[in-house]
Amino acid sequence: MLHTLSVLALGLMLGIGHAHAAAGDDILDIVAPFEISGTDPSTAGDLFLKMGVAETLVGADEAGKPVAALASSWELSDDGTVWRFKLRPNVTFHDGSPLTAQAVVAALTAAKGKPGILNKAPIEGISPDGNDVVIRLSEPFAPLLAFLAQNTTAILAPAAYDDKGRVTQVIGTGPYRISLLQAPQKMTVERFDGYWGEKPSIRAASYLAVGRGETRALMAESGDADFVFNLDPASRTRLSRSPKVNVLSVSIPRSVLLKINAGDPLLKDTRARQALSLAVDREGIAAAILRYPAAANQLFPPSVASWHNANVQPLAYDSAKAKALLAELGWKPEADGILAKDGQRFTLTLTTYPDRPELPLVAAVLQEQLKEVGVAITINSTNSSEIPATHQDGTLQMGLVARNFALVPDPIGTMLQDYPPQGGDWGSMNWSNAEFDQAIKHLSKVSDAAQGQPLREKAVSILQAELPVIPIAWYQQTAAVSKKLENVRLDPFERDFGLASMRWAQ
Amino acid sequence: MMTATMSSAITASEPKRLPVGRIVGFTVLALVVLFAFLTPLVWPVDPTKQSLRNVLAAPSWSEPLGYDHLGRSMLARLAAALRLSLGLAFLSVLTAAVPGALLGILAAWKGGIVDRALSVLGDVFLALPGLLLVLMLTAIAPDSPWALYVGISLVLWIEYFRLTRATTRTLITSPAVQASRLLGFGPAYIIRRHLWPEIAPMILTVAAFGAATAIMAIAALGFVSVGVRPPTPELGLMMTELLPYYEEAPHALLQPIIAVFLLVLSLNLIAGRKAQ
Amino acid sequence: MTRVLGYRLFQALLVALTVGVLTFIMIRALPGDMAYRIAAGRYGYDMVNTDAANAVRTELGLDQGGTTALGQWFSDLVRFDLGVSVVSGEAVIDEVRHQLGHTVELALAAVLLSLLIGPPLGILAGLRPGGVIDRGLLLVSSTLRALPHFVVGLLLIIVLATGMGVLPAAGHGEPQNLILPALTLALGLAAVSSRVARDAMAGVAGSPYYAFGRTKGLSDAQVLRRHGLRNVSVPIVTYLGVQFIYLIEGVVVVETLFAWPGIGHALVHAIFARDVPVIQGTALVMGLMFVLLNALVDLACYLIDPRRQAA
Repeated sequence: MLHTLSVLALGLMLGIGHAHAAAGDDILDIVAPFEISGTDPSTAGDLFLKMGVAETLVGADEAGKPVAALASSWELSDDGTVWRFKLRPNVTFHDGSPLTAQAVVAALTAAKGKPGILNKAPIEGISPDGNDVVIRLSEPFAPLLAFLAQNTTAILAPAAYDDKGRVTQVIGTGPYRISLLQAPQKMTVERFDGYWGEKPSIRAASYLAVGRGETRALMAESGDADFVFNLDPASRTRLSRSPKVNVLSVSIPRSVLLKINAGDPLLKDTRARQALSLAVDREGIAAAILRYPAAANQLFPPSVASWHNANVQPLAYDSAKAKALLAELGWKPEADGILAKDGQRFTLTLTTYPDRPELPLVAAVLQEQLKEVGVAITINSTNSSEIPATHQDGTLQMGLVARNFALVPDPIGTMLQDYPPQGGDWGSMNWSNAEFDQAIKHLSKVSDAAQGQPLREKAVSILQAELPVIPIAWYQQTAAVSKKLENVRLDPFERDFGLASMRWAQ
Repeated sequence: MMTATMSSAITASEPKRLPVGRIVGFTVLALVVLFAFLTPLVWPVDPTKQSLRNVLAAPSWSEPLGYDHLGRSMLARLAAALRLSLGLAFLSVLTAAVPGALLGILAAWKGGIVDRALSVLGDVFLALPGLLLVLMLTAIAPDSPWALYVGISLVLWIEYFRLTRATTRTLITSPAVQASRLLGFGPAYIIRRHLWPEIAPMILTVAAFGAATAIMAIAALGFVSVGVRPPTPELGLMMTELLPYYEEAPHALLQPIIAVFLLVLSLNLIAGRKAQ
Repeated sequence: MTRVLGYRLFQALLVALTVGVLTFIMIRALPGDMAYRIAAGRYGYDMVNTDAANAVRTELGLDQGGTTALGQWFSDLVRFDLGVSVVSGEAVIDEVRHQLGHTVELALAAVLLSLLIGPPLGILAGLRPGGVIDRGLLLVSSTLRALPHFVVGLLLIIVLATGMGVLPAAGHGEPQNLILPALTLALGLAAVSSRVARDAMAGVAGSPYYAFGRTKGLSDAQVLRRHGLRNVSVPIVTYLGVQFIYLIEGVVVVETLFAWPGIGHALVHAIFARDVPVIQGTALVMGLMFVLLNALVDLACYLIDPRRQAA
């Protein structure tokens, strides 16, 4: 009996999975935390772009500047409201159908009708004109090129959509086509021979969504994965000593911020927000939790050259000054050290979310640091959607968020969403500044980089002085890469894993 | 883990052995309980107080168990986490045992429709695996130990119910109970005199096993980040948090693991071999 | 027999009822705005905002009450329609089918592996109660039973995958990916089944018919085969039933640790994303699977021990 059983078990174990046992070591295994949440670019476009399956009309270089992608060139009318995109010739979708202006218009129109980025641009109409795509705006809007480089605007073939405009299968134009899609965890891709550009060296790749950071790190360590994206700080330290992998990192336009309700009686006065900022030991947080030099002394890291302003007074840690500012506002410590004024105690609720595991940790440290100056914090670690939800109903006091300023490759896209005069879900709340609004409004119309520079500097210095949000730390993206892989570069805008340019070491 | 179908094994007869295991079990449990509840008295450190200078520092005379990844006292956190686990387990077991046993006696005593109704109720809870029930309850009330407590109690009570019901049914037909009834003794007397001595040892076994189950479940839920949230010290959560540092600070990760191990082992020993 | 299977059918109905009612309460009691929660699940934390939440609200008609939703779910269930995931937009039944396949694969491998490890060792130990094997096994099984799954799993990963590099740490798709998660579950199962087998064997080995078998000159192996195994297997199979609970609960943790795309993993995810149809679907299927497994155990016991037909 036991013999039969053992034979049965062995047979089962070997037999199982024969369907996907596509052997061969030349498959590049990619592991990252992002789940594949469907087939629609509005939900999973980032992954289709990262894996080289889908492409956008406009691309972005490492500095975030627009470059030609599916559109080979473009021109803007003199009044700045009509954009004409010339499509790259001889591009075919993975189903063999050609890339036409009609197809692009259909894909962009579908994207505009869904939550994403395109519905935030002042677009009046998208229409084909011969082999060109024409986008008409109601007013000049300089970041349009960046918007068209964003993953929710990825161009899929007409056959990808059903009659209700839902995406049923992913048919892109990228160097790789999907060979297997098992949402939410797994996707395999293989080289698309009809690709218009340079033929990639890697023949096939698999993508696996692994939520647990520890598991990801262990997979890099054991050699199960060749490219592991997003490492937790502790694993990064460990893996950097491993003989099998290289740890890469790149500074990215994402910052940990304290989003502040400037309408809250406790936080209305700019000096109160300045005091909170002075109470934060950013170096300590960076060293202990993020474990790289990441203390944010202003909103943007130096790597985002156009928005980093070297001339502003850096945010500093000075708890004595913080206490002095709070005393100036009439706050006096009670017996337990917590400040009070007119019978009201300085207590705040800090809302955050554990989707990025470092946030609750940073929140816990902030709680301790603010207690030092007499501010009592209650941490509410909840779903990320509570930030926009409580922004809307006005109950948010402070939110600790990790904000991506590269939603589109130009941070202006995020700035327009987050810092409009009436406030934004992930940015300012009950704060506005006429000069700032003016500068941002101007920026959305100026397409020349040099012309925009003084405006950006002005905007950043106003944010630094009035602190509608308090910057805490800048991010670095990290990846563990097998030493068998060559030519791996991390995209600071997190658009692309760079699969098409990687190759196996000889 | 959360088994509610082990009555058959417990009632299976086997000659009684020297309860060395039980003595060891009680001793270990007593030591763990003493550690959990005495530590805050002799070592009054706030388990959430951080000192970023001491991140992951090794044990020393000034901090016997070292520091965690935020420079919090491991000793204080471990004791607090043990209190949470022990407290939740004790409460759940108590909440499950008292009504479970009383309902079991009631069902056996009254028979008929009462028995039927109560048995169906038991089956409802038996139909879903326990962790599934607890998971669904934690989805209703996230981040609160109450969901864990209610969920675990709801899973555990059936075992007491089934056990006491089965035992009571055989006992009330026994000559001794019949005689007592004929002599006019009331239910209270019969429960105290005839039922309790038979039921008590079984309840102890089931309770110890149930507590072990509860502790494992709380840790497992903490590990998948359902249940209590940071910075509350909880054994499963501490393991998850310290896991990335397993190479830098193995001493820190080992502590909650050893704590769960000792707790569950001691409870299993108390439950005895038959409650496997 | 019919009565036993009838009871399991009744249990299956109860599962559907419990899951339905619990999710009904969940919809009612969930804190926060559902539309925002779903939008966060769909579009991620970078893209969730009020526009996205409003789009979700309109699309899903979230303004309908909980009672309507519950009634809808039950009437759909009768037609075997589990609804559509609010996050991915895919039919729940398809998602569950896909995940269930992976979980069943894992569970089967775990059970088979545990049968290879547990009962043989238990029988060996039971043949000589109090011997070295018996004591050693008691120690190992007590240790394993007191360690949570994920600790065992991690130890296995650290030793076998990152340490010795003989097996993949996590992932799925290749046959060898199955070994570590299955072994993690199997060790827990074997810790119990070895003790059951040991006790049963000790009981059988001490019985008069077993002694008689030896007296009549049968070798150790013969007497074990003729008189031992069948008698030992009834309690083991009965215990399998108990162990399925362990298994179903174990997969929740083991699947998250090993990135195994099974139903337990899906359930935890759905709970985070507040994907109520998926929670309903996966919980229902896991509950039904549990009932089905128990029915199979009933059937197996009945086949092994025909005396039970009378009972």
